Amino acid sequence: MTDSSNDPIDPISRAVIQHRLSAIVEQMGEAMLRTAYSQILNASRDFSMGIVDRDCRLIAQADHIPVHVGALPWAVKAVEDRFGDDVAEGDVIVLNDPYAGGSHLPDVTIFSPVFAGGARRLWAVVRAHMGDIGGATHGAYNPEAREIWQEGLRLPPMKLADAGVMREDVIDMILMNVRFPREFRGDLDAMIGAAHLGQRSLDRLHAEFGAPMVGAAIEETLNGAETRTRAIVADWPDGVYEGTAYLDDDGRGREDVAIRARVTVQGSDLTVDLTASDAQSDSFVNSPFANTQASVAMALAYLIDADIPKNDGVFRILDVKLRPGTIVHPREGAPVTMSTTHPANEIVEAIVRALQAACPERCSGGWSRRFRMSITGRNPRNGRNFVWHLFHARPGGGASSAGDGWSGAGEWHSVGGIKFGSVEVTEARFPLFFATHEFRPGSGGDGTYRGGLGTSLDLRVEVPAFAHTAGEGIRHGAAGIAGGRDGAPHDYRMVTAEGETALRTKQFGIEIAPDTLFRIRSGGGGGWGDPAARAPEARSRDEKLGLV
Amino acid sequence: MSKPYRIGIDVGGTFTDFVAMDEAGGTVICKSASTPEDQSIGVLEGLQDLARRLDLTLADLLARTERIVHGTTVATNALLERKGARTGLLTTAGHRDILEMREGLKPDRYNLLMAPPEPLVPRDLRRPVTERIGQDGRILVPLDEPALREEVAALRDAGVTSVAICFLHAYRNSEHERRAAEIVAEMMPEAYVSVSSRVLPQIKEYERLSTTVVNAYIGPVVRRYMDRLTGRLAEAGYDGPLYIILSHGGITRVEDAVALAAGTCLSGPAGGIAGARACAELIGAGNVIPFDMGGTSTEISLITDGAVALTSERGLAGERIALRSYDILSIGAGGGSLAENRPGTGFSVGPQSAGAVPGPACYGRGGTRATVTDSNLVLGYLDPDAFAGKGGLDLQAAEAAIDEVAAELGLTRMEAAAGIHRLINVKMADGIRLMTLRRGVDPRNFTMLSFGGAAGLHSVEVAREMGIGRVVVPAVASVLSAWGMLASDLRLEVSRSLPNAGGWEDEEILRAVFDTLEEQARERLPGMTPGRMSVERSADMRYGEQIFEIGVSLDGIDFDAPGFAAEVEERFHRRHEELYTYASRGQDVDMVNARVAVIGAVPRGDAAREVAPATGRAQPSGTRRIHSAGAVVEAPLYAMDSLAPGHEIAGPAVVEADTTTVILHSGDAASLTPHGWLDIAVGPRDRSAAAEEVSQPATID
Repeated sequence: MTDSSNDPIDPISRAVIQHRLSAIVEQMGEAMLRTAYSQILNASRDFSMGIVDRDCRLIAQADHIPVHVGALPWAVKAVEDRFGDDVAEGDVIVLNDPYAGGSHLPDVTIFSPVFAGGARRLWAVVRAHMGDIGGATHGAYNPEAREIWQEGLRLPPMKLADAGVMREDVIDMILMNVRFPREFRGDLDAMIGAAHLGQRSLDRLHAEFGAPMVGAAIEETLNGAETRTRAIVADWPDGVYEGTAYLDDDGRGREDVAIRARVTVQGSDLTVDLTASDAQSDSFVNSPFANTQASVAMALAYLIDADIPKNDGVFRILDVKLRPGTIVHPREGAPVTMSTTHPANEIVEAIVRALQAACPERCSGGWSRRFRMSITGRNPRNGRNFVWHLFHARPGGGASSAGDGWSGAGEWHSVGGIKFGSVEVTEARFPLFFATHEFRPGSGGDGTYRGGLGTSLDLRVEVPAFAHTAGEGIRHGAAGIAGGRDGAPHDYRMVTAEGETALRTKQFGIEIAPDTLFRIRSGGGGGWGDPAARAPEARSRDEKLGLV
Repeated sequence: MSKPYRIGIDVGGTFTDFVAMDEAGGTVICKSASTPEDQSIGVLEGLQDLARRLDLTLADLLARTERIVHGTTVATNALLERKGARTGLLTTAGHRDILEMREGLKPDRYNLLMAPPEPLVPRDLRRPVTERIGQDGRILVPLDEPALREEVAALRDAGVTSVAICFLHAYRNSEHERRAAEIVAEMMPEAYVSVSSRVLPQIKEYERLSTTVVNAYIGPVVRRYMDRLTGRLAEAGYDGPLYIILSHGGITRVEDAVALAAGTCLSGPAGGIAGARACAELIGAGNVIPFDMGGTSTEISLITDGAVALTSERGLAGERIALRSYDILSIGAGGGSLAENRPGTGFSVGPQSAGAVPGPACYGRGGTRATVTDSNLVLGYLDPDAFAGKGGLDLQAAEAAIDEVAAELGLTRMEAAAGIHRLINVKMADGIRLMTLRRGVDPRNFTMLSFGGAAGLHSVEVAREMGIGRVVVPAVASVLSAWGMLASDLRLEVSRSLPNAGGWEDEEILRAVFDTLEEQARERLPGMTPGRMSVERSADMRYGEQIFEIGVSLDGIDFDAPGFAAEVEERFHRRHEELYTYASRGQDVDMVNARVAVIGAVPRGDAAREVAPATGRAQPSGTRRIHSAGAVVEAPLYAMDSLAPGHEIAGPAVVEADTTTVILHSGDAASLTPHGWLDIAVGPRDRSAAAEEVSQPATID
């Protein structure tokens, strides 16, 4: 699309432009963080920023949420397919439909077109996880949903602004269909602001260097990332590698739902074939097309050098094969809300399990699975209703050829990127008491290098309340890699005067009596390498530190 | 005896700087080699030298010295080099791993091949104590003293020499921490004790605990140094006050610096910023970007309307220190940054550095790879005969190194050198962008203050890149930190968490909190007559659902007037509106921390003396062939100390000062301030000139 892709460019200008592109996405992210309303955005930073061109190629992206890597081009494709040339300067486009470039309904995406030299060239794209998107339950995680219409409001690609004029009627319609319209509007304004900031910065870049030179620099940047990625993959022995990972269950009685990856390495090309994965479910564990693509991209991002920019050049080496009707490519209409965590995590794990035979030193031991839980009730201290989301009790990270795993650092989709809130602040704001919140000894998978530890949390709920779960990983622990052992799976229990019950992974409306104790033991990371090769000093140190 | 002198001492990695200032503002400066093993030795040697320059004996000088203000890197180095004390931690049972959990965060997102760092206190020295305070400050589980004694004994037997104590909710009720500290003091009388409710009495356990642990880790090192230094000074006859500059630019007494050692982690750079702030006042510029570029790192900060930005979001060496400090952006790039060309990545400068060893190729210490300094030499910006005392610079070695890069890129030597220069400038500009644009500040309204060894070679070009129109190079640039310590007011700050975020509007409580803080602060700033003392009150506030607090100035609010809490809240709404374009007046507002700063005004004299105006035109001392705007030109060379107010210099030109060189290009014009400082009007940005620098397009692999 760029009219200058074959022009040579001096290396200095190229480096300057490359620098500016990543500075622009960083700057967009910073603006978003500062201005967002809801905690999921300003605390957990569940958003991402990208620059994508008209050919749906990812040009630059800020490192926020790995599962968004490689997802944005599919979103742009949906917009291009819908609007084609019917895009004017000052338009703002929105979408969230998982069957048209989205991932799950709470993830809303905003697009601002960038013109230069009279032609449309780039998109500044912002994706953020909204606190609520309507539907049957608050926050969209609805284990009861059998179809996407029960999960919330679906937005196909549509214009929120027409040539600079906001379509307030359309925004009103959206606000009327969500639970906290004021908060939603605040977050939406923050997203639009960030996209505009990106667009204006790109305008300045074009003005300074001219569109042809910017275009040429982009080509070289993408080609450079491709070159580096190919150099890595070319080192792996050609062959066909297979790996499987399992969801515990779909909440409807189906257990061990399999994601099967068949990865072909040929020269420097990778084909990831997921067609043998199990059939789609009628619960919310389906991963729609774009989310599956993004999950495969995330796996590749974890296998190459960390400093290679995550852009289209990297993903050019990938060919992803999917079959309609499977859990990783459900037919339109199936519910999908859990997909950005599960089966996103299992897709990564299946691929890493497959490739451990090709490049064991690059494969990290399994990171953990996400066991989401929320508690709702009335806070006697201020007389208001509260919703509390569990981000504490972080599970363990995977070990690697570089050493033991990070304890309490999280899941495949977050890899140390989610900050849990202060225990003191949580106790001050909610009727909750953290009796214990520390590492869970013995939970890390054994190996030459040990997986990171999960966390033990004893949480007392002081008031009557309800709990909801939407999780994974009580049957399957994080994968051991290259001979390492799996990490311990999660173990969530509710302790009352009547006794102890294990929580199920997908449960809605668990009634909580006052002073109920939740005994939460989150899973550990997978080990790496043969346990027999673990250094005796490392073992005695683990003993001494009480980690095993 | 009258005490006309004040002395500022700034200990750096290589040199220790000294400034003596008399009552009239006259200054004498000197430098001595730093003595890292025991910095106090170098300090005393430098003071001897300073006395000689004033024709006094050391004893005479010290007897005539009213106060000494000192910036130290002892704490910084102990933390960076992991040479602190063997530290133990006593913490609430069930919460043993707060330090190592790091709130669930791991840096460098995509790097999964990365082992976790060793915590400052290993798990076996983090001992659980049976006790629990509730969020409302009530004792839920009483302190189990016999069990605590067993844990303390275990720490003692493990060879621990410093003990951190941090219990949950101790900011609300410090009774258990206080009792635990007493028991530690009794059982381990030699040990350093760091208690969270004293170090940082604020909610958020990770920040408080980590800060308390850092304090314990470096406290004994700071204590040892301060003991030596005060001992040596006393021996030499000094009986006046010694003040230590803190990371937030305030000062404190030695005993308080020892107790709050973690507050001295940025003591060194804080002096530089204090100096920059004093400079800003002298040149009458409210908005200034201090730009301090050295060999391995560059520090950038921000002065807005005369005030330095503060933050408590930082740390050092991967350790979280939640005390307020100047908001300093440190970039790991400078004169020693290496140029390289990697397949795929392309051409880049840094982050790798040649460091002190082997250093740039031109230092002749075995370095062969091209650095920023080598490119500056090849471009003619540096004099090969400079650093003559150390054997000069090796131009041939620099050329060979640059040629290697040029060959890889298919460029000429000059083009490659100009490219390296341009890229490091872009990197520096990125740093300024982070400090300004990212905070919503437009750098074009700012003056850049250039100091530090390498700054002058780059500052004008970096300013141009950012659209900054004015660069000032102060004559005291080489000892700016030490000078700044003397020219700054004495500032002492105290803070605490509000009892309960939700109930802060209770005016009686609020008044009591601020009054108590003010009393504490006044007590700790001795030797100040009330007339020269002023007080600033402020608060960290946020909307109930937000997680980032903003600082709100409460100056001018009458805390005795009924209904003042409503005015406090309104101040917050307005500040939020200023920063983020909106206020939500219907929303709950929380006050998280209350802060009081007591400021003792320092008589300035005229801190930098005005220089006699010039009589005639500026006389170049020679010429130098430099690369400018795509060509090599013969540029006039001026000695900075030969210039005076009234002189005008047009670029291209080279101005050489003691420890820095300033490059002007075509379109730049420099004049001299009344104090003899270089004041540069930066020429407009010319795209075609920039394009010429790389006139020959090259293809790369």
